[in-house]
Amino acid sequence: MSLQKTRYPFYDVLQEKSHWDEHTREIVLKRLGPFTKYEFLNNYEVEILYAIAKLVVNEERQEILEYLVHQLDKNLASPIGENQRKVGVPEQKKLIRQGLLALNQGVRQQYGVNYVELGSPQQLAFLNDLQKGKATLSEEWQKFPQQDFFKKLAADLISAYYSHPVVWSEIGYGGPAYPRGYVRVEKGLTDPWEAKRDDRES
Amino acid sequence: MTGNPNSIKHNCDHYADHRLDNLHQRKYEKDADICIVGAGAAGGVLTDELSRAGFRVVTIEAGPFWDPQSDFASDELSMQSLAWNDTRLVAGKDPLTMGHNNSGRGVGGGTVHFTGVFLRFHESDFQVKTQDGLAADWPITYQDLAPYYDKIEKDIAVSGPKIFPWGSFHGPYPYPEREPISANSEVFRRGCEKLGIRSVVAPLAILSAPFAGRPPCINRGFCNQGCLPNAKFSTLIHHIPRAIAHGAEILSDCMVTHLNLDKTGALKSVTFVHDGKEYEQKAKAFILANYCIETPRLLLSSACPQFPDGLANSSGMVGKNLMTHTGHDVYCKFRDEIRLYKGTPVLATSQDFYETEPSRGFIRGYTLNAHGTRPVGLAKKLVTENNIWGKELYEIMRDFNFYAQITIVGEVLPDPGNSVTLSDEKDEYGLPRAVVTFSYGENDQKLVAHGVKKSQEILEAVGGEPAFVIPDTGHLMGTCPMGKDPTASVVDEFCRSHDIPNLYICSASVFVTSGGANPTETVMAIAARTADYIISEASK
Repeated sequence: MSLQKTRYPFYDVLQEKSHWDEHTREIVLKRLGPFTKYEFLNNYEVEILYAIAKLVVNEERQEILEYLVHQLDKNLASPIGENQRKVGVPEQKKLIRQGLLALNQGVRQQYGVNYVELGSPQQLAFLNDLQKGKATLSEEWQKFPQQDFFKKLAADLISAYYSHPVVWSEIGYGGPAYPRGYVRVEKGLTDPWEAKRDDRES
Repeated sequence: MTGNPNSIKHNCDHYADHRLDNLHQRKYEKDADICIVGAGAAGGVLTDELSRAGFRVVTIEAGPFWDPQSDFASDELSMQSLAWNDTRLVAGKDPLTMGHNNSGRGVGGGTVHFTGVFLRFHESDFQVKTQDGLAADWPITYQDLAPYYDKIEKDIAVSGPKIFPWGSFHGPYPYPEREPISANSEVFRRGCEKLGIRSVVAPLAILSAPFAGRPPCINRGFCNQGCLPNAKFSTLIHHIPRAIAHGAEILSDCMVTHLNLDKTGALKSVTFVHDGKEYEQKAKAFILANYCIETPRLLLSSACPQFPDGLANSSGMVGKNLMTHTGHDVYCKFRDEIRLYKGTPVLATSQDFYETEPSRGFIRGYTLNAHGTRPVGLAKKLVTENNIWGKELYEIMRDFNFYAQITIVGEVLPDPGNSVTLSDEKDEYGLPRAVVTFSYGENDQKLVAHGVKKSQEILEAVGGEPAFVIPDTGHLMGTCPMGKDPTASVVDEFCRSHDIPNLYICSASVFVTSGGANPTETVMAIAARTADYIISEASK
């Protein structure tokens, strides 16, 4: 169940898939699973990532979180570059792997349990601290760029989340639009297949 | 010539009918007249013009030869592949976002995923030093480029208004302006109207009616993910196929890794890598059209005992004065749906704040573009630039359809501290990675503040509520400036290296100042002018 109330409860963008071009359809439907084995991440990392992803994108549905973690794995396994990396920050494979270790060790030091065993409020508080660069990390991670770690991880998870067709439906995004394009683009006009607001809502 | 175990297999090649798989059997392996590095906005125009003039042209492109129908998709995440994804190290107070934000990889380069906004620079852009006492003048004027602006616009059937109120060119454009415009562009224009700010339907390299076997735009809205119907111009679909018909050879998926000099100091050949193997391409003249990061990286990393500070760098200016445009995104929320995903992203524009106005407290100015966006683009920037995530982010995104956006394309003044240098870290080819350093100057920041305020006023005038401002950037310019003085610039007014007579550099890297408008048309006009010069020199 989604944590949020959508403005478009009757819209399902996947109903439109027969109108999409084949290449796009193939790409989008893969996001619904089933997924192939993890190439880069180990089970321990996957478990922490589910817990982090859940809070970063504010989502509880396992099948969506599963796609997010698989998409992150795909990025990390890829030899293609990472566009930009700040001088002094480790390469993304290392940044994420070390970051997950540093995070868990920090939590263990502070709370005496693993990150995944913490309650959601404490998990959220720890992520907030990481984002601000104020998380208490153990001795060996004092120089670890925690803000860059959080930003990289969150950006990848969030990019995957807003690529999921179920999420597209909930935010009323029309998604793929080829070959038909849009006919009614002016303010207040919508094509018949686009998301329509729930009339009962103000 | 051994295979490199670190080599990455990049993408695809849809060029099979035009090139043999064996790269030792090339069309002009030994007798090319001109070798062009990079098949983007500039490289496409140069390849076309020079091959038509009868030169044996070989153009080497690092990325794939795309087929829009099978390689492009209506999808943000997967179409990140159209960008130059190789890692650049970024530094400075305002480190740049690279990749899809400002570069392309593959035939067509950035034109494959640009928004298609097609604006000329103004006369003042070429004389910032004379008019405002800062930065530098270009060695050319608007009048030098005017005939090439005309030529390019006609050649690709730019659509635009009958009357364009700013700068020296007042229309009409070759093709009628686009209609209808999107809701986002509509609220922008209405807001401008209320405040007495002039706005127009944007001049676009996107068709408003059929042209050259291509259909008009269907308002799909995925310009930044590659145009599937081919309604948007790119050098991939326009210039390069024509150049191939004129005899040009395109070596796609081939990364140029070194520039080789002969004993006289002239450029003899380039080394390139395909599938992990090295090859050499000789030519009589060379043109580097590989944009603002790869051009200086290649010149600097090709240093040799004769030129220890890099090639074409006696001025020390190679890699200096890197510029971007302030690309701040101003969002306001409306009571009614705007639906930013619909239609061509930019359909309306204003240049009422383009020229220097002393009372504002800064020099130069900006273009305002009504700008559509998509969920991934917006959500990702909200976390990386504005630290918004979790529940707060979802609450914004749930109302995605209720936001309108204006993007500021603002001039950034040249600063030698903003630069491209080489790091100690190596890439898959064994080349040093580029370090890209960027910090805004005081004038830039004042300009941004003004642009943000104006944008918010425009949308507030029609009922929008300021929501958030994303400090974004767009485009790259500079790093090999053109100029008359060989001690202070890298190339002359025709883009010819002051130091190496058979080397040209032709892309936005030769820009002296950034201008306050989307740069693609100016890049293409400069390329057409350089091509004319090379043709006239050869006939002497």
